[in-house]
Amino acid sequence: MSGRRISLTLRVAVLLALTSAVSTIAIAQERAAKDAAAPAPKRDISGVWLYQGGGGQEGIAPDKDMPPMTPWAQARFDAERPGYGPRAIPGGNDPILQCDPAGFPRYLFFPQPYEFVQTSDRVIQFFEREHAWRPIWIDARSLPKDPDPTWSGYAIGHWEGDYTLVVESAGFNDKTWLGATGYPHSEDMRVTERYQRVDRNTILYKIRVDDPKAYMRPIIGPERMMKLRPGVEIAELPCVWSEENSFTKRIREPALGKPNK
Amino acid sequence: MKPKLTTSAALIVMLLVTCSSMLAHHGNVAYDEQHPITIAGNVTEFVWSNPHCQIYLDVKNDKGDVVAWSVESQSPGILHRNGWTRDSIKPGDHITVTLVPAKSGAPVGFAGEKTGKVVFDDGHILRMDLR
Repeated sequence: MSGRRISLTLRVAVLLALTSAVSTIAIAQERAAKDAAAPAPKRDISGVWLYQGGGGQEGIAPDKDMPPMTPWAQARFDAERPGYGPRAIPGGNDPILQCDPAGFPRYLFFPQPYEFVQTSDRVIQFFEREHAWRPIWIDARSLPKDPDPTWSGYAIGHWEGDYTLVVESAGFNDKTWLGATGYPHSEDMRVTERYQRVDRNTILYKIRVDDPKAYMRPIIGPERMMKLRPGVEIAELPCVWSEENSFTKRIREPALGKPNK
Repeated sequence: MKPKLTTSAALIVMLLVTCSSMLAHHGNVAYDEQHPITIAGNVTEFVWSNPHCQIYLDVKNDKGDVVAWSVESQSPGILHRNGWTRDSIKPGDHITVTLVPAKSGAPVGFAGEKTGKVVFDDGHILRMDLR
């Protein structure tokens, strides 16, 4: 009798656990199916998006997929002292630590969201990180022949079908790193991006960097994902020297064992 | 069959949780990310500021000495999206913080999306997820 009761209790417990697990999965599947079923609007990538990636230390491609550098780029790379990656040392000379702009494309891969606003002639990207913005002209103009170098470059875009925005950009200065591990680039860098909106909530993102002055071959990034964040308002995260300096003195340096002045 | 299905479901959930935390990984060479710790103490200051909000608290160590800890967390934007405000933590609050400590051994830590959390004595929890 006692054995039968235990057996019955065990069966009920297993059934409850099973029901709970199955219902959890069913809810997740239903939500995923609903998301996937929602059609992407045509020729529209507006909205607040969150990159589904790392914590801000990513480069264009993983180290193993980076092409060989030219001697020019190698000399720069060797002089860098990054705070992340296989060559990481505490402290370092990452330009963003002195409030230099991370610039494009680095600010796409931070963990803060960005908003894309679309008008008839451009897509404007507003980044929470750095409180920066970048216009992408979609009015059929060409890239300028000899643009003055800037932190974010000059960008033009066109639609390939109804769901993929192809963006080409040039005119970058050579002061930014291609990610926190310290890969350099030159003013000759040209970037091609593909924003493919596969459903309402998802952009698949691809990036290719051509910079023959710095790399022997193009850098091809892995396919990345951005997710729509309905209801989210982007905040402000500018690099303010007084705040950065205070943070360095109160947290960064003490963390390294330096006295807190 | 049922136990097998339950096991499979549990494995799927574990895999999803693992993948999610890997995607959200925040690397910082100054901290020992492999060995999170939990500390408890009285808040002396809460700084709501970029680039990272900061919590300062007095913590009694094993010998009974009070050690002043400094904890960095996420940016105000990320914390706001997790329900924080600049008044979420006040001087005098007694809190428990899970963080990754500085490799140097200094009483400094990072409470981020991977393992970080703040727990108040009444049980309510503040998190730092990337969202």
